[in-house]
Amino acid sequence: MPKVTIVDDPANGEGKSVEVENGTTVIRAAAQAGVEVPHFCWHPGLSVAGNCRMCLVEIEKMPKLAIACATQVSDGMVVHVNSPKAVEARKAVLEFILINHPLDCPICDEAGECNLQDYTYSHGPGHSAFEEAKNKKPKRVPLGPNVVYDAERCILCSRCIRFMDEIAKEPTLTFVERGDRVFIDTFPGKGLTNPYSMNVIDLCPVGALTNREYRFKARVWETSSTEGICTGCARGCDINIWVRNNEILRLTPRHNPEVNYYWICDEGRLNSFRHVNSKERLNSPMIRKDGVLQEVGWDEALAHAADALKPFAKDEVAVLGSAYSSVEDNYVLQKFARQVLGTANIDFLRHETEGNQDGFLIRADKTPNAYGAREAGVVSTKGVDANRIFDLISSGKIKALYVMDDDVVTTKEREELLAKLDVLIVNHWVRTRTTELADVVFPSATFAEKFGTYVNFLGRVQLSRPAVSTQEQERVPGRFNMSRLDKFGSPFDKWNKGPRRNVRSSWEIVSAIGSLLGGKMRYQSAQKVFDEVAQSIPSFKGLSYARIGDRGALLKKSKEEALVR
Amino acid sequence: MIAIEALIKIVILVLVVLGIVAYLVLLERKVSAYMQDRIGPNRVGPKGLFQPFADILKLVLKEMIVPEKANKFIHALAPVISITVAIGALAVIPFGNYIVVGGQKISLMIANVNVGVLYILAMSSLGVYGITLSGWASNNKYSLLGGLRSSAQMISYELSLGLSLIGVFMINGTLQLDKITMAQSGGLWNIVYQPLGFLVFVTAAFAETNRLPFDLPEAEPELVGGYHTEYSGMRWGLFFLSEYTNMIVSSAVMVSLYFGGWSLPFVNYAHMAPNLAALIQVLTFFVKLGILIFIFMWVRWTLPRFRYDQLMNVGWKIMLPLAILNVLGTGAVLLAIK
Amino acid sequence: MTTTNGNGQSGPKLTLWEKLYFPEILRGMSITIRAFFRPKFTRQYPEERWVPPPVFRGRPVLVMEDETHVERCVACGLCARVCPSLAIEVQAAETELDKERYPERFEINMLRCIFCGFCEEVCPEEAIIMSKDFEITFTDPRDTIFGKDKLLIPASQLRDRLEFLKEYR
Repeated sequence: MPKVTIVDDPANGEGKSVEVENGTTVIRAAAQAGVEVPHFCWHPGLSVAGNCRMCLVEIEKMPKLAIACATQVSDGMVVHVNSPKAVEARKAVLEFILINHPLDCPICDEAGECNLQDYTYSHGPGHSAFEEAKNKKPKRVPLGPNVVYDAERCILCSRCIRFMDEIAKEPTLTFVERGDRVFIDTFPGKGLTNPYSMNVIDLCPVGALTNREYRFKARVWETSSTEGICTGCARGCDINIWVRNNEILRLTPRHNPEVNYYWICDEGRLNSFRHVNSKERLNSPMIRKDGVLQEVGWDEALAHAADALKPFAKDEVAVLGSAYSSVEDNYVLQKFARQVLGTANIDFLRHETEGNQDGFLIRADKTPNAYGAREAGVVSTKGVDANRIFDLISSGKIKALYVMDDDVVTTKEREELLAKLDVLIVNHWVRTRTTELADVVFPSATFAEKFGTYVNFLGRVQLSRPAVSTQEQERVPGRFNMSRLDKFGSPFDKWNKGPRRNVRSSWEIVSAIGSLLGGKMRYQSAQKVFDEVAQSIPSFKGLSYARIGDRGALLKKSKEEALVR
Repeated sequence: MIAIEALIKIVILVLVVLGIVAYLVLLERKVSAYMQDRIGPNRVGPKGLFQPFADILKLVLKEMIVPEKANKFIHALAPVISITVAIGALAVIPFGNYIVVGGQKISLMIANVNVGVLYILAMSSLGVYGITLSGWASNNKYSLLGGLRSSAQMISYELSLGLSLIGVFMINGTLQLDKITMAQSGGLWNIVYQPLGFLVFVTAAFAETNRLPFDLPEAEPELVGGYHTEYSGMRWGLFFLSEYTNMIVSSAVMVSLYFGGWSLPFVNYAHMAPNLAALIQVLTFFVKLGILIFIFMWVRWTLPRFRYDQLMNVGWKIMLPLAILNVLGTGAVLLAIK
Repeated sequence: MTTTNGNGQSGPKLTLWEKLYFPEILRGMSITIRAFFRPKFTRQYPEERWVPPPVFRGRPVLVMEDETHVERCVACGLCARVCPSLAIEVQAAETELDKERYPERFEINMLRCIFCGFCEEVCPEEAIIMSKDFEITFTDPRDTIFGKDKLLIPASQLRDRLEFLKEYR
């Protein structure tokens, strides 16, 4: 294995030696040594293009400066990242790129997370020799339904083109024209309609490609990001949830080589948080009084639910868990069913869309936690699955049903079926046809409002953190991206603290009912629930929130059939 | 008959004094404003002349808040003591010689007590009760501290105040204010004979009236409002009135003892019609009084407040020895002249 | 020149003349009495109004073009970013105009504004500037948040300040 010396600080000539694989490029070797080489066109997830020339470094015994992204290491190589020559060259490159790049950072969405902006501050010359007018190019070009292109800002790094070629495997984009008139366009008759198209927005090192929905909605420094998990499908992509004023504004992918690399699908990015901001959100527990659901306080609703469940025999009650809920929620629910209600009628609904799956990220199972719900024990040991439960309701054997975070009523028959029940208790985040039929309704917290773990289809447990504050749960702004308002704002800033919803995590609701019915189930936090999960369920043994970390952890014993599903 | 005469005089005096007090407040605000390059109140009436009415109306209409844990009776009594004592001291001040109404001589003082000055000293000493009791009854630490300071301060300066006057008594041989005035009307004023005594008296008088630089009982930066922190509305107004009345009393005593009272040098009233003479005398008295009151205000808006230990040092280590020195010196000179 | 006086506190060393105290009192009184007779410069405010010079920083306003009645603001949010008291909130939105974006909502909390003028200084469009308006009073805290209705002022009314900025900024 070749040994390379990376010299970061020219004043300290020693540098740092690293041993790397054969064929490694200098930029990766430098990264391994903890040195960042500025770059635009190079991206760790894409092929090497070498067209921006930003990553020029000085390598001993080489006559000219070399681009770090395309130069392979050899044994004994000594790389000077910040030698005077390299610094001078980068200044020239930046000056060159800025010849035609408009200085409209104030109105550019990328400002604040723009590579060009950052590098211009840290490596730029601070002036330009070019006083001529910048050239005009198309602006506000819709490349596809979700992506808007501004050719003037484009620095022609070709990341988006390479992404479409290599990752999305649907070549759609290309350079057109020559020289300083060159810009990016779709091939004739094609649009940027790929289900992964919006990744080019994150890839774009400048503000040339923008998210049509998020465009101009907020400045980067106004938003805080929280590490979360996408709940759009069983992949469970790692995401950053960007929040301002207690409202989710956008999701961006978070790097995790074990799950989603650098990418996320458009569906997950755009739609997996819709229900959090929904106008249909439930905001108070409700009890059916005189045939109408009426808002009541938590204590009253919990007591009412406990009283309603009391009269029934073990076999007359059933519970439905949810693959949308976290492991903690499902664990508490099955404990509630087995230890408090003593029933074996427990299952959760599957939400698989046949054919809506590809070989990349998107899964047919549209729930984030089917694996986790199964592992947590939301399956009947006596074979009473969901269909059987519905049969028993139909025949009048089951008279009370608890539904957690799921919409049972998908058809007219189901509606008639649920109407047969004596007692229907539902917790959910939005108003659904199921909650309309319920006797007691609890508003529950969404994935973005609670701590919770989700097990993806490969058996990887991942932790999602609260990005939105509720009345119960303070949100956890990310470690790296905290908005100015979060840092310096006060509770008296009208625009700093959006309304907090009166919702609780499902595990909290279920354990409260369980405690009222005499069960031993009081937990201080989701973390405490998970600690119990780790103790009592073998596949979770030894796991904790700290062990899960940023990349998640594989469950101990992966069930074969779970992988097949 | 004498009772009716006294009663009429009392009513006139009280009304006049309270009217003067109301305008003194305006004067004080104007003086302070002019010394600070401002104009002062000028909104109510022409040149702000009706300002006192607005002030009084405000005080009367304002709620009198009584703290829940206060001693309600004493809390209400304290300002009454203050104002009563302050106005009471005016009884022995000769504002003029006499007027003739229906052939009858009517003296221009309410009570000609033969220990007049002692009476004033006694009354001004009683004033400390109003302040101390208000401080205690408010059940507030700031009020209590203000009250305590006030009693300590008044006791300390009472001594010098009394001793500084002895020189005057030795020269004039009487304690009656009208006689002292008479004694000065022919010759030189007592201030010429008693400059040191006057200085000590003025200083002590500032302390007795709780005015800057000796307003420690109500030192705002440290005691909020001092003894009257818990007072509002007209009860607070009574304290305010009594402070200004005290100023009038002190000034009136000074005018009578050191500045010839109602007399003017080189003016012989014997040839005038008695009532014209009385008019001139009263005017003279009030002009002198006004000048002294202006000096009171002038000092207030010039000097900063003393520190408490400094106040006590000055009182016991400087004022008292000086007062005794003045007595001894006067006695020695009088003996030598004899 | 400080030393310790008798009370253990340091202070200037006094001469005998100063220690006599009374001469110094008289000196102080001579100062106040001189002030007493100096002419006064008080302005009778509600009747005598003052028109501030262009350099004056009154309440911040948004410049509105006279002909088009469109605000200059492009809702970049730099004013909100630079505002030391977090008084400004801007919500941008897209417009068909050339400037691409405009403030859908622009609010200044006038209870928080400290009239520092940073927003004016940072604005790339000369769209938010300090006006001459200093008469800002409220009787209800809800009135203290100024929206676009109160902030938009035609450029013709702000000519003084705009010229001042052209010259000195």
